[in-house]
Amino acid sequence: MNAEFIQNLPTAEQAIARLRELGMPRRNNELWSFFPVAKIPTPEFMGTDFATAPTTTPAAAPAHSSSDEAVQKESDFAALLPIANQARPMIREIVAGAAEMAMLKCNNDFGHTVLDIGKGAKVSLEILDNKVTHDIAAERFDINVGENADVEIFFANPACDLPLRFRHFNINQAAGANVRFSSICKDTAIGRVSVECHLKGEGANFDYRSLHILDGEASQHSRLTIYHEAPRTVSTQLARNLLSGSARVSYDGSVIVGYDCTGVNSSQLVNTILMSEDASVSVKPVLKIYHDDVECTHGNTVGELDAEQMFYLVSRGIPKKSAQEMLMRSFAQETFLPLPDSPAKKRLMSSL
Amino acid sequence: MLSIKNLKASIEDGTQILKGINLEVKPGEVHAIMGPNGSGKSTLSKVIAGHPAYHVDGGSVELDGKNLLEMEINERANSGLFISTQYPTEIPGVNNVEFLKMALNSKRAFLGQPEMSDEDFKKLCEEKMSLLEMDERYRERGVNDGMSGGEKKRNEILQMAILDPKVSFLDETDSGLDIDALRIVANGINHIMSPEKAVILVTHYQRLLDYIKPTYVHVLRHGKIILSGGPELALKLEDQGYDWIEEAK
Repeated sequence: MNAEFIQNLPTAEQAIARLRELGMPRRNNELWSFFPVAKIPTPEFMGTDFATAPTTTPAAAPAHSSSDEAVQKESDFAALLPIANQARPMIREIVAGAAEMAMLKCNNDFGHTVLDIGKGAKVSLEILDNKVTHDIAAERFDINVGENADVEIFFANPACDLPLRFRHFNINQAAGANVRFSSICKDTAIGRVSVECHLKGEGANFDYRSLHILDGEASQHSRLTIYHEAPRTVSTQLARNLLSGSARVSYDGSVIVGYDCTGVNSSQLVNTILMSEDASVSVKPVLKIYHDDVECTHGNTVGELDAEQMFYLVSRGIPKKSAQEMLMRSFAQETFLPLPDSPAKKRLMSSL
Repeated sequence: MLSIKNLKASIEDGTQILKGINLEVKPGEVHAIMGPNGSGKSTLSKVIAGHPAYHVDGGSVELDGKNLLEMEINERANSGLFISTQYPTEIPGVNNVEFLKMALNSKRAFLGQPEMSDEDFKKLCEEKMSLLEMDERYRERGVNDGMSGGEKKRNEILQMAILDPKVSFLDETDSGLDIDALRIVANGINHIMSPEKAVILVTHYQRLLDYIKPTYVHVLRHGKIILSGGPELALKLEDQGYDWIEEAK
């Protein structure tokens, strides 16, 4: 077990203190620019006064340990919330060279999963929706990936109407480690998936693919921060959205390339098809690059279904609605086609 | 069978492209439409198919007595019309075979017939692909996705063969085909053709008409059919071009 990784996780007290320090999410905080922050209830431990007048003085005790220092770096409300709510961490080690397939499901509104994956391990991890009893659920996943390990993390759950859901992933990758993170979201309410990925070892590779198929009043938000902290690390982001009704999606993706990180390759692409006048998407790419010899790209497209493709299908006798569904399905499936054959790909494709 | 009367159509900016087309096509006939670039040949096929970029200003198009212009696009196809455009659209991600099956079963549903079983559809596909000398790779590919010009045209004729339309309007099906592919595609069209069906071919060259013998040849220019004749007209056009027609008037 990676002792340092475990020791640096915040305790409930530290998380509460840090949350008091940070205050409730506000729109002027860049982590929450697009999120309907008014929908987040103030946690009881913060006190009702806190919601209107956040403190400016850190309530946490002065830093004494590495854990204290680590928690001071945590700045995402959603990452701290489950720990502050006393989520009992489920800590699991997957030993070097092991091959494991697992399904994870929290039993409570607040969950915390800690995975320490050893060198060269091969892991397929599906995240299932938890059973919740309240109006808010928050899960946190701390995943440490050892050298040359190959990990796929994915979720493709049926549409969920939970009013508010947060899912935060904190991923550290050692040299040569591959992580493929893939998700399909059809939820009908408000949600946010945040990922903080640290590519710490040379040649580490992080591949992120998300698909939102939303309708009605759904409001789903993605926040990614990828730190390239070693040479020749690679990150790929592909987010696709199919939005109907008044559905809203935001994608806030940051890539930070550190000093001396030569040969980094990073790409970010967001493709959205708006099926109605009232659907909307907001995209904010951020690139902070502190080295010259890197290749970083970002792109964003927003449009409707291709009129010529629609005409072609319909001119062969296919009804308009079925033609639309065919094009939407192909747009959706293309998100995951480049993935290697694996349980994740099979599950994702079958859910479309 | 297909009766086009005084068909006029324009594009969005109001420019009229078709200025009164008249054409009668009877079962068993092959009509070749020739004409210089920009004369309205491709527009004619798209207007009949119902392409939303064109506005019909007047006239009628009837297939077996039913006005196609009053039908939805898919209803026109399911009534027996097949249009192959000059540049078939690529649709990556939509599997060729699934698309064909969906199209065929849409037509069958329109005609009140039950869905074709997977087994029967597979046999039908194999038969038609063999006719067109197509290999198995076509099954796995997206519709026209990444295909060469010739492959796309062959794929169009495969669709025609499977959908079995009454009237096929093939716009420059010979473009992009090498000599062997031209022969295969033309043989495919001849095989599909029957006394109950009709084909309208748009072409610039006699070479396609060497394989598919036309009943009539028409010259379309400035949005109108200005001359009609037998197969010999195509030979004369190949030899002398189009200017002599205007000069003769």
